[in-house]
Amino acid sequence: MLDAFSRAVVSADSKNAAIGGNELAGLRAYVAAGNKRLDAVNAISSNASCIVSDAVTGMICENTGLIQAGGNCYPNRRMAACLRDGEIVLRYISYALLAGDASVLDDRCLNGLKETYIALGVPLQSAARAVGIMKASSTAHINETNTSGTNPDETRFRKMETIQGDCSALVAEAASYFDRVASALA
Amino acid sequence: MKSVVTTVVTAADAAGRFPSQNDLEAVQGNIQRATARLEAAEKLAVGMDKVVREAGDACFKKYPYLKQAGEAGSNQIKVDKCYRDLGHYMRLINYCLVVGGTGPLDEWGIAGAREVYRTLNLPTAAYVEALTYTRDRACSPRDMSPQALNELKSYLDYAINSLS
Repeated sequence: MLDAFSRAVVSADSKNAAIGGNELAGLRAYVAAGNKRLDAVNAISSNASCIVSDAVTGMICENTGLIQAGGNCYPNRRMAACLRDGEIVLRYISYALLAGDASVLDDRCLNGLKETYIALGVPLQSAARAVGIMKASSTAHINETNTSGTNPDETRFRKMETIQGDCSALVAEAASYFDRVASALA
Repeated sequence: MKSVVTTVVTAADAAGRFPSQNDLEAVQGNIQRATARLEAAEKLAVGMDKVVREAGDACFKKYPYLKQAGEAGSNQIKVDKCYRDLGHYMRLINYCLVVGGTGPLDEWGIAGAREVYRTLNLPTAAYVEALTYTRDRACSPRDMSPQALNELKSYLDYAINSLS
């Protein structure tokens, strides 16, 4: 497993060179945005069960066959497995975001995931859809652009109340990890 | 590769939980010290050639017998290899400063070093002398800020202790 710093070290080692100048600039950016990154990880982990259950609910709403007899979220046992997997994927994405590198996600979560799902008969498209919804809500939580959705009276959504600022780089990075999961399932 | 972040993530993963407040605090502590570490890494990278040359010179000055026939530095090729090895140690220390942990030194420098030096009949005292010279030669504010120097010296000490 690597983080942003050890990734730089491994690539410098393959060139047999010390790390200076340009590579350090990228790491200084990680350090400078360190608190933003921790807030972003906190935004995901604090809202994890909401993000996961919302994504699985949305996936089922779009494809109600999943919870009818013979569907892959029927009965409760398989629904529970689905929620569990959503949480696992989100957890590894939060690790990757904390580390600033996708290697933990690749090594410990995505490696062999597609083959496992195919063997178990899990519909890959539905799984990817749930990941897509998790991406939308996670990035909204990080950016604090989450809204009540279609119902204006809905008040059960939460802002993280961190200092406002430009989080576009972190949001893009987080989004790339979700996309990585989606493409691993494609 | 062991670093603060990977250690935190490994522990969280073993427990199957999301990064907790404790984890984030640990990473933040690492980030707060990062400025000094990266400064030391940069200064070391810039002065690398000079640092290596001075360290190697110091070692052959203290142990001139090394250049006699049958010793580890008996011809120019062997002497060059000594300087090259010191360059490796300095490079690994540069990596340690970047990562903020001893992972690079442990994995690429220290693991197996004792066996290799014994097999090739190399004196570790010479390496210790070179690294000690570097440690005592570095000073603040001429070379870097006091905090950065502190970080650099702690990794030099780590390498010295592993060889002695």
